[in-house]
Amino acid sequence: MDGPMIEARNLEKRFTVRRHREGAFGAMRSLVDRGGNEVSAVKDVSFSINRGEMVGYIGPNGAGKSTTIKMLTGILVPSSGEATVAGFTPRESRKQLAQQIGVVFGQRTQLWWDLALADSLELLRHMYRVPEKRFRENLNRARELLVLDDFMHTPVRQLSLGQRMRGDLAAALLHDPKILYLDEPTIGLDIVAKARIREFLAALNRETHVTVLLTTHDLADIEQLCRRIIVIDRGQVVYDGELGALRNRFGGKRHVILDFDQDPGDAISTLAGNNLEIVDHNGPRVRVAFDRETTSTPRVLALASHHGTVRDVSIEEPAIEDVIRQMYEGPDSQHP
Amino acid sequence: MLTLRQECRIAIRIAGIRLRGQIAYPASFWMQIFSSFVIHAAEILALLAMFNRFNDMGEWTLGEVAFLHGISMTAFSIGDTIAVGLDSVPSQIREGEFDRVLIRPLSSWIQTLVSEVSLRHLGQCAQGVVILGFALSWTDIQWTLQKALFMPVIIATGVALFIALFTLVAILSFWTVNSIEVVNAFTYGGSDLAQFPLHIFDRWMRNLFLFVIPGGFTAYYPALYILGKDDPLGMTDTFRFLGPLVTAGFCLVVAWGWNQGIRHYRSTGS
Ligand SMILES: Nc1ncnc2c1ncn2[C@@H]1O[C@H](COP(=O)(O)OP(=O)(O)O)[C@@H](O)[C@H]1O
Ligand SMILES: [Mg+2]
Repeated sequence: MDGPMIEARNLEKRFTVRRHREGAFGAMRSLVDRGGNEVSAVKDVSFSINRGEMVGYIGPNGAGKSTTIKMLTGILVPSSGEATVAGFTPRESRKQLAQQIGVVFGQRTQLWWDLALADSLELLRHMYRVPEKRFRENLNRARELLVLDDFMHTPVRQLSLGQRMRGDLAAALLHDPKILYLDEPTIGLDIVAKARIREFLAALNRETHVTVLLTTHDLADIEQLCRRIIVIDRGQVVYDGELGALRNRFGGKRHVILDFDQDPGDAISTLAGNNLEIVDHNGPRVRVAFDRETTSTPRVLALASHHGTVRDVSIEEPAIEDVIRQMYEGPDSQHP
Repeated sequence: MLTLRQECRIAIRIAGIRLRGQIAYPASFWMQIFSSFVIHAAEILALLAMFNRFNDMGEWTLGEVAFLHGISMTAFSIGDTIAVGLDSVPSQIREGEFDRVLIRPLSSWIQTLVSEVSLRHLGQCAQGVVILGFALSWTDIQWTLQKALFMPVIIATGVALFIALFTLVAILSFWTVNSIEVVNAFTYGGSDLAQFPLHIFDRWMRNLFLFVIPGGFTAYYPALYILGKDDPLGMTDTFRFLGPLVTAGFCLVVAWGWNQGIRHYRSTGS
């Protein structure tokens, strides 16, 4: 297939928030009354994702991430704008599209509560008409990589969160989807479970070139899995590009820790002003912060060498959390 | 794109997997069947007692009223058994659980039907059949081959109409998340009314049951044909055979409504 795998063009979704009316009479009234306040969950979202890309879709709570994904799966019909996914328009070809996508919502299982995982998977095999042989292969891969064997015959309602999420992932992949939507797939999981899921996703993407759109609040997920991120805030895309470039653009400050062979004394404060900032000075150890755009690490070292012999240097990249927080708040923000 | 036949085959497979799961716990399964039979046996007794008291419904004998009741009841209970899944649509919509249905490559309506198949309702089906059996022994119908062949058509039409009505109730919940008991009362009440001869009702009720919710075409008029009775309302004899056609039209409207409902689905915020 030519062209992008997922394309969103000016997607918008408005919800009418209606007053709740009590009782039978209220039910009848709300059937005819069309009034209420409109809120835009997604205002104007456009992006384009190619086959095999693994893109992190991030933003604060309520930014519109889940709503975007629901429009891209065909669950919700956009209020305006268009989407093309795997060559289909979700709202028109929901069922055909369903055959091409796998979906995991961390908040809500796609499995059947009262069925054992094995039964759920078998049921899905029929729904997606997965050939027997392919089903066995996919099931075996999932059982091995996601370690499902301990709970294959347990009803889904009795599974732990981590087990359930692994089951959901296995279920989403049975029919070899071209696209995988993951909406907070690591939410509430412990470190071991998170690591297992990340490794699985990385291997999957490497081997099958499945296209992945991933939302998460755990930026370690993003750092380990995604080259590209799309950041959304209040229903609008505020950044779309490489993770590394984001740091340069917003995160600004890189920290360098200089270890002198002896305390450089108060004279070190004259360093500041060369687009540098002394963050901390404790005996022979000095922590300097600077903007990557205007200063480089060698220049910092050259300047520092006027104040003594530098024995050791270490560099700290800004934490991605800080970068993104700064981005939401904006450069002129008054927030603390 | 799946054909309807493929969809149905998949649906039956799914129903099979679900039923297999239920039979896996035989004790509770038989308990459910048993208790459902006890409840329905009690209802049958109550109905028989009622028929005995009011055996005169405008020229209709006890057996004839029971016959009409039997076909309606049988159709209703089979329809209810097939469509139990629709009962949970309002709560699925309210909780956003309907999302799951929409990411699957199968008709959302068929998925809903098979999502909750259960053998529990078999007792209810038996109730209609038992009443029908009593009725047949109390009336002396002049059976012909045509009449015998028309019987399954009557039941099938009635089943389709009831499923369409349950679907209609489910559709409304795409627009209102409030309680829909009032609508429920409407359909269940309607099904009760369809079990009585149409001519005992006022004119506006009769018209409602013929031209809005076409229950009159699926029970009363076919019953006139089988029982070989004159139509006290003086309508053309064609009415007796219009059931399948009218029901098909009604189902088309409901199917359109379902698709509109799906477009209206708004999920929930997290
Ligand atoms: N079905 C809905 N009805 C009304 N408001 C909704 C609905 N879904 C989402 N919203 C609102 O839209 C906004 C975006 O929600 P969502 O897409 O779930 O955000 P995110 O996934 O980024 O946390 C939120 O303010 C949320 O309350
Ligand atoms: Mg969300």
